Formats: sequence, structure tokens, C-alpha cells
Amino acid sequence: MNKKIRIAIPNKGRLKKPAIEALERAEIEILEEERAYVSKTSDPRFEAIFARANDIPVYVHYGAVDLGITGHDLILERGADVLELLDLEFGKCTLVVAVPDASTINSVGEVPALARVATGFPNITRKYFEKTGKQVEVLEVSGTAELAPKLGLAQIIVDITSTGETLRKNKLRIIGNILESTSRLACNKIAYRTFEKQINELLASMRGESK
Amino acid sequence: MFKFQDFDGKLLALRAEMTAPVARIVTTRMPSAPEPIRLFYVNNVFRYSQSYLKREREFCQAGVELVGCNTPEADGEILALLISSLKQVGLKEARIDLGHASLLKDLLNAAGLDEQQKVSVQGLLACRDSVGLKKFMEQNSFPSNLREAFLQLSSCRRLDEVSSISLNGSKYDKANKQLGSLLELQETLADYEIEDLVFFDFSLTKKIEYYTGIVFEASVPNLGLPLGSGGRYDDFIEKFGKLRLPATGFALEIGKLLQALTAQGFEIPKKTKTNVIVMSKFRNSSVEAVKILRESGVIASLEVTRRSLEKTIEYGKLMGTDYVVSVGSSLKSPVTVFDVKSNVSRNIMFETFLGEVGG
Repeated sequence: MNKKIRIAIPNKGRLKKPAIEALERAEIEILEEERAYVSKTSDPRFEAIFARANDIPVYVHYGAVDLGITGHDLILERGADVLELLDLEFGKCTLVVAVPDASTINSVGEVPALARVATGFPNITRKYFEKTGKQVEVLEVSGTAELAPKLGLAQIIVDITSTGETLRKNKLRIIGNILESTSRLACNKIAYRTFEKQINELLASMRGESK
Repeated sequence: MFKFQDFDGKLLALRAEMTAPVARIVTTRMPSAPEPIRLFYVNNVFRYSQSYLKREREFCQAGVELVGCNTPEADGEILALLISSLKQVGLKEARIDLGHASLLKDLLNAAGLDEQQKVSVQGLLACRDSVGLKKFMEQNSFPSNLREAFLQLSSCRRLDEVSSISLNGSKYDKANKQLGSLLELQETLADYEIEDLVFFDFSLTKKIEYYTGIVFEASVPNLGLPLGSGGRYDDFIEKFGKLRLPATGFALEIGKLLQALTAQGFEIPKKTKTNVIVMSKFRNSSVEAVKILRESGVIASLEVTRRSLEKTIEYGKLMGTDYVVSVGSSLKSPVTVFDVKSNVSRNIMFETFLGEVGG
């Protein structure tokens, strides 16, 4: 079969640049980036697609692309059944539970029943509170969950943080950690079977092993 | 699973797969059937789907079960049937990836791991993280022969490569027996000439708990999801009765097969039957014409609304009808045949028209 291996790369945000650099270390340069639906690369075996980081897990799951670089947190949130072949170690962040500085809640154990939680990660959040036995109302917001307490939308937020800067700026305080995340090279399960040799070569060069 | 309550409070559920219903039927309705029993089904099942593409909850599955036998020949027959089914529907480059449900369990037990460690190893295997696996085995002081076997098994792709692996020590008896059975299966597959289409995948485990032997998935390179799966379940049927019956089988998802066929550029053959609407002021002759047309294999329907020829043709166009036929008081006299697709009408004998369209 002469099909090219498709790899999805975040089209914007903090993961985009390091993702492109990770591929460059494996000597895969993207030749025509913007506008092109499918971008050629310097390696004739691979072609690249730019997509939203939080859609990439789903693309990989369904095999719309064979490989994708995206966050571990996003893979879990989308419930994508994919292989996480490589921890790329960039885009390090923590998914945390946070409350306004002035809140009387000091730990996840103190979260009152039926509290409203604003988050861009509704699935992980729901599972997390179910596991802790807390019944909460999960309010899905896309991005800017940190504004929800100010607007009176929710007393609690679940969001990612890397330096804690955004939380501090918005006068929010962490009361619990849900998970640590980094970027991963995700792979469709069937694509791994079809392209095992090429993908293993890619893995070796991304790990910095000699070919 | 979809669960809800009956009128009297009894719990009801929609079947999420067919193997459990088949097991129930085998034990309750076929207790004295001669073995082996070969069964097939084409049925709908209901599941909460993870799909982001469609909100489908009902799926059509076609499957087979071979009950009452646990030989490599039985597994071989099922795998060969799976391959030939995929070929028969027109799929190219189909392959099967096969693992063993209890081989991995037995090796993990023999390694003396606790539940948490077992989960870690399975996760590392499932993600094909050989680097992480090596690290884990060093940190958890796996015996060196077992370490070697794990790494070898996770890199084996052909069933006959499994032959190079054997473990010393009586605690590995079960695992060695299963490795042996995989080799025997390979030989059976070779007799069917499909040994190059079945690959070994040590990490393949199924979410369904009842499998005891081989587990497998079928796929084609054009579709990112498996087309179907199956495996051996030797302890499952006895849960429905006292009968202990080993069994093996598979199920294919019809929707996925269609997706895969489309992805491979397969065109579903167009209908070959002609579609005709018959109209007449004389009901007895139109009823007769419809009857004759149907008997010769044409899809014929009677114009029942008493509308005009123009209106009927308009309807025929919307319905994708081939011809509208207007008949007089007798089928002996010429009829008007309107070709809906080309907008041409002809006056011909009914017999002639029948000769053109009839099978």
C-alpha cells in the first residue's frame, strides 16, 4: 500500500511550536504550513495536518489521521482509545481544582453537595468528583474557566495550570490536583499495525536513537 | 447497557452483544443438541456508543459461534471463516490480530505481581511502550527469563515466532501450554493458507471479561477502527446452566464493513429490478397488469389516487420509477409506456413491454 502516514499537529496554542520542533528533531520538516489542508513534509513517508489540539485525540481514535501530537489531558477528556507511543515531555501542566482566594473551601473534601464546577474538561471533572463521592453540577465552558467565579457562574473551577500565573492573577487558589499531563505522540491502533515499521523508526528518531 | 424497569418493577435490559443471548439459547433451548453446535446470527444490538460522529445506539452485528469444542481446529475454522467473510463482502487487505486472554494473565500471576502492578504492565503493553516496560521490569525485579519472554512476546508478530519462547519452571506450565496451543493454531491456519493474514499481538486484550483463550480483531488499513472481534470463551456458557461447553466465535459490525468498503472505493451495486407504476381508468386491467408484472420479477405498483398521467409521472420522477404504464380496457390492446428517465412515451403491446422489462 502506498498511503502516506498522516500526523496531526496542533494548529495554535502552546503545543504547536514544540510539536513542530519535535518532528524537526526527527528530521521531518513541514514544507507548506498555513492554508494547505494537508501539508507535505521533507520526509516522503509522512504528511501533516493542522488541527485543534483537543480534536486531535478524536481524529486519531477514528483513524482520520494515523498519528497526532496532543496533550495527555485532552486524550483522557475526549475518551479516545489510542496508543500513547511517546511522552514528548513538553506542554507540562496539571489539571487542578481551584476556588477563589476568599472561599471558605480549603480541600476537595469540603466541596459542598451540588456545588457548581466550571470547566473545559467536563468528562474528567465528572469522573473525578464521582470517584470522590461528591455530587456536583458540572458546567461546561470552553476556555476561560477562571472567569466563572468572578461572574458568579460557579464557586469552583477545574482547569489546567502550568505556572499558576493565570490562577494567581484571577485570585484563585488550588485545593486539589486531578492529574499531571504532558504532550504525547498518539497513534491509531490499526495504523500502528499497518505502519509498524515506519512508526517504530519515527519513534526511534524522536527519542534521539540512531536509525 | 441500556437498562430500564418493566411494569412490575423487574429489571429489563437491551442486549449489548449477541454472545450472551446465544449462550442462553444453547443451554436452555438446545440442551440435547449434538455437539459441536454451529450457530450464526445477524442481529441488532444496543450500546452507549463513544462515537463523536453519530449518535447511534443501535448496531447491526453478524456473527458465528462454534460451541462444544476447544481444539485448534475449531479456532482455525472460526478464523478462516472470518477471513473468508471479509473477502466475500469485497474487502481487500483484511487482517486479523490475535492475542491470548489467559497467557498474559498467567504470566503476570507467575511474575508474582500485585493488582496495581498488573494494571501498570498491561497499560505499558497496550501503549506499546517497550522502553517503559523494560524500566518497569528492572525496577520491579522481574526474573530475567520472564523479562526476556515479555520483551520477545511483545515484539512477536507472527504466530510461529512464538515457538522460540519457552519458560523453565513448573509455575510456567500453564503459560507454556498456551504457547504450544498457539503454535498448533498456526499449523491449522497454514492448512487454510491464511497464516500470513493472522498476526500475533501480545498486548491485545478485550474489555469483555469472559474470554479464556485466543482473542482477535479484524481490520483493514483504510479504516481506523476494528471491523469486528471475537475469541474463545470456555467458561462462559456454564454460567447460564450446568453445562460446561467450550466455545469460540466472532461478530462483525455491519456498519463498519460498509464504512470500510466505502473507504476502499467499493461501489454498492445498483438495484437491477425495474420499477413500474401501472394506471388505468379500467381497474380490472390495471390490477391484472400489476399482477403479471410482479410475477415476472418487476416491482410494480398500482396508481391508487386516481390522478392524471402528468401527476403520476411527476410522482414517478420523485420516487425513482423507471416507467409509468397506462393501460386501456384490455391488455390485448396497445398500452402507453412512459419512460420516466428519458421523458419518452411509446404505444406498444403489453406483451412487448413485458418482454423488455420482465426477468
